Amino acid sequence: MAMLEVAHLNKSFGGLTATNDVSFDVAEGEIVSIIGPNGAGKSTVFNLITGVYRPDSGDIRFGGRSIVGMGTNRIVDLGIARTFQNLRLFTNLTVLENVLSAQHHALRTTWLSAVLRTPSYRRQERRMREIATEKLAFFGPRLMSFRLNQPVYVLSYANRRRTEMARAMATGAKLLLLDEPSAGMNPSETKEITQIIRRMRDEGGYTIVLVEHKMGLVGEISDRVIVLDYGQKIAEGSYRQVVDDPKVIEAYLGKKAAAERIEELEETGER
Amino acid sequence: MALHQTPTAFDDVDPRKRVRNVALTFVAIGLGVLVLMLLESIGSSKLTQSLALFAIWGVATVSLNLINGTLGILSLGHHGFMLIGGYTTGLLILDEAARARILTSARSMMTEESLAISVTSMLRSLGLDALTTPETLWVRFLIAIFLGGLMAAFAGLIVGIPSLRLRGDYLAIVTFGFGEIIRLSASTRLFAEYTNGALGFPGLTSEFGKSIWWTFGVLAFTVFVISKLKFSSYGRAMQAIREDEVAAQAMGINLAYHKVLGFVISAFFAGVAGGLWVSWLGGVRLDFFLFQLTFFFLVAISAGGTGSITGVLLGTALVVFVRQYGDPLEQTYTLQQWLAFAGGALVLMAALAVLFRSLRRLRPRFHWSAGVLAGAAVLAFVIAAIDPAFLEGTFRGFGMRAIFLSVLLIAIMVFRPEGMIGRNEFSWAMLLRERRSGPTDEERGQDAWLTNPVLNPRGTDVDPEAGPQKPTAPGRAAARELDADWDEGVDEASRDGTDGSRAPDDGPDDGPDDERRR
Ligand SMILES: Nc1ncnc2c1ncn2[C@@H]1O[C@H](COP(=O)(O)OP(=O)(O)OP(=O)(O)O)[C@@H](O)[C@H]1O
Ligand SMILES: [Mg+2]
Repeated sequence: MAMLEVAHLNKSFGGLTATNDVSFDVAEGEIVSIIGPNGAGKSTVFNLITGVYRPDSGDIRFGGRSIVGMGTNRIVDLGIARTFQNLRLFTNLTVLENVLSAQHHALRTTWLSAVLRTPSYRRQERRMREIATEKLAFFGPRLMSFRLNQPVYVLSYANRRRTEMARAMATGAKLLLLDEPSAGMNPSETKEITQIIRRMRDEGGYTIVLVEHKMGLVGEISDRVIVLDYGQKIAEGSYRQVVDDPKVIEAYLGKKAAAERIEELEETGER
Repeated sequence: MALHQTPTAFDDVDPRKRVRNVALTFVAIGLGVLVLMLLESIGSSKLTQSLALFAIWGVATVSLNLINGTLGILSLGHHGFMLIGGYTTGLLILDEAARARILTSARSMMTEESLAISVTSMLRSLGLDALTTPETLWVRFLIAIFLGGLMAAFAGLIVGIPSLRLRGDYLAIVTFGFGEIIRLSASTRLFAEYTNGALGFPGLTSEFGKSIWWTFGVLAFTVFVISKLKFSSYGRAMQAIREDEVAAQAMGINLAYHKVLGFVISAFFAGVAGGLWVSWLGGVRLDFFLFQLTFFFLVAISAGGTGSITGVLLGTALVVFVRQYGDPLEQTYTLQQWLAFAGGALVLMAALAVLFRSLRRLRPRFHWSAGVLAGAAVLAFVIAAIDPAFLEGTFRGFGMRAIFLSVLLIAIMVFRPEGMIGRNEFSWAMLLRERRSGPTDEERGQDAWLTNPVLNPRGTDVDPEAGPQKPTAPGRAAARELDADWDEGVDEASRDGTDGSRAPDDGPDDGPDDERRR
């Protein structure tokens, strides 16, 4: 049984159809990429899965259980966490505090025992710190030593992306939805994050769905690629299958402007 | 050098320092008690009263700041919660003589049944007669303010619920509305039986509200609970909500629960503060709980530093000082004197402008605006000295204290919007200048090594030449697997000099030079 099953998902904003009958499955341990031109509805799919939006129709099942209509925080409890395309870190909190706050939902003490610092609370707090360093260590020692106690607003863009991924991992989720994890990163950082995403699956045991524009990254790590265009799924399969699909080429190259953009992406993303 | 925001202090400090910090805290509390004893014995009653007022308002501002600063919701209804606590406490500890007076008064709106409500009667019905003697009044007062806090907390639960659906300005208006509804409904027929309508209850004991021991004791308890809460996982969740609600929820934080929790805890302490406040005033009346009270609290919070308990207490001290010792501002003076005062204020502003510019290292230090202010001051002095005919007459500075506070608030918001001490929190480490605002030289070296491909062409984790470094095992594996060039974008921090990546020549043993690389 697939870990995540998305069936006939529809969502429109006013007159605009953001997703149109989108269906796909994700099996445990897979890395699945969702690609498509700008405005294709990729982020909307993430927002629907995480409960930020409610689908107009269709079903989303996680571990066999329908999660449509559940609150975002409930869905995290069940084991789906995400990052945001436009970075939504807690900017005035430190790197460590950001990653710790993602574990709060799993805390099993009342606020009163937190105030009184009961042994049970202390134990859990220490455990939370261990998990936080464990997740941050995926990104090498750069977020570890003094950066741990630096507020997020002094971090570089790339470090913020890394912090956000560590924060999503720290929630304890099994399925991670990464919205353009390499946006704003230079080629070598992109190369690095590609390796890290693979290690997140291999060593961390996470199942990963990611939205990306950089085809180099997508081609290198995806077990499967799903292509969206105007809210519709137009192709699904291995990276090679998908990029050779005439419908996909049309979606990207149909317009002249899109063709230029693709070239530009190839240049930056695949070098 | 900017102080960094205090990281969540928890087991971070090494054990020896923790012992030292606890010891220092006890010494400080001991010294504080001694100072208070001294002030109580030699100071005027006005001084002790002012100190008690500081502590009472401190309870209110620290609790309000849990909503405004930690949770990031602008709440304008704190006076309503205080009112509930105040009336509850008042009704519960009113003495027999005062009750008899109210009952026989023609304009009284209370009934025999409602006047029978008291801690004394509760204790009697529980068979605890020993606690109803005059000597044990303090026990009854303690019970009364606790129950007052509980009543207010219940109101906080109700007010907290709209906060789940509303945001920002709209929510602020709703909390303001709630505060006013509470205040106005206290005088309606519905509640007049318990509140005695517009008359309230006069003749309340001031034994507790004006005692610095009681008020400072309650303040210490409040600061303890709220700071422990703030620096716990729950406090982090609340701050996450303040920073970004969508992200907080996407990280599994239950917005509804934490917002309502914040409101309930805050309202509880507001209710307790209300109980002390009516005792300080020696009675309960509706106009003791005007919106103005919340306004003063907000001034204190904004002036001191939103989100910082230390800052809020500092701001409260300022506001209480102006309230208690600002009488000269509201006296009657001749217009000539007023003009001279205005001149003095202008001189002060000019001096502050120069001071501000030199503290910020702005050039020129003597900006033309300071010259204009000084010129205006001279003009004012000259006119006052000439004393022309139009300066006849007098003027009473009615409301000058509030105006003064407002002007002060505007100045702080313009020049230091984060408040006097911003988000920083007092800590021994900060006082002893142990708080780190950047990496050590060793860490700088390590960071330079990691992020600079020129120094580290093979992309290994540890600079073999530098001192002992202990990156964790996964970190080491991560770095080994990477392709060589980690060309990390230079952090913003590095522009402040806190990032090592651009300064390989910083320390003596910072990164290896070319020779060592080969
Ligand atoms: N909350 C919203 N209200 C109205 N329209 C929306 C909303 N969210 C998304 N849309 C629209 O839905 C369409 C799909 O948006 P979405 O963000 O999913 O695109 P995307 O595939 O993630 O694009 P990009 O590659 O630019 O991130 C867009 O046309 C967008 O304008
Ligand atoms: Mg998107």
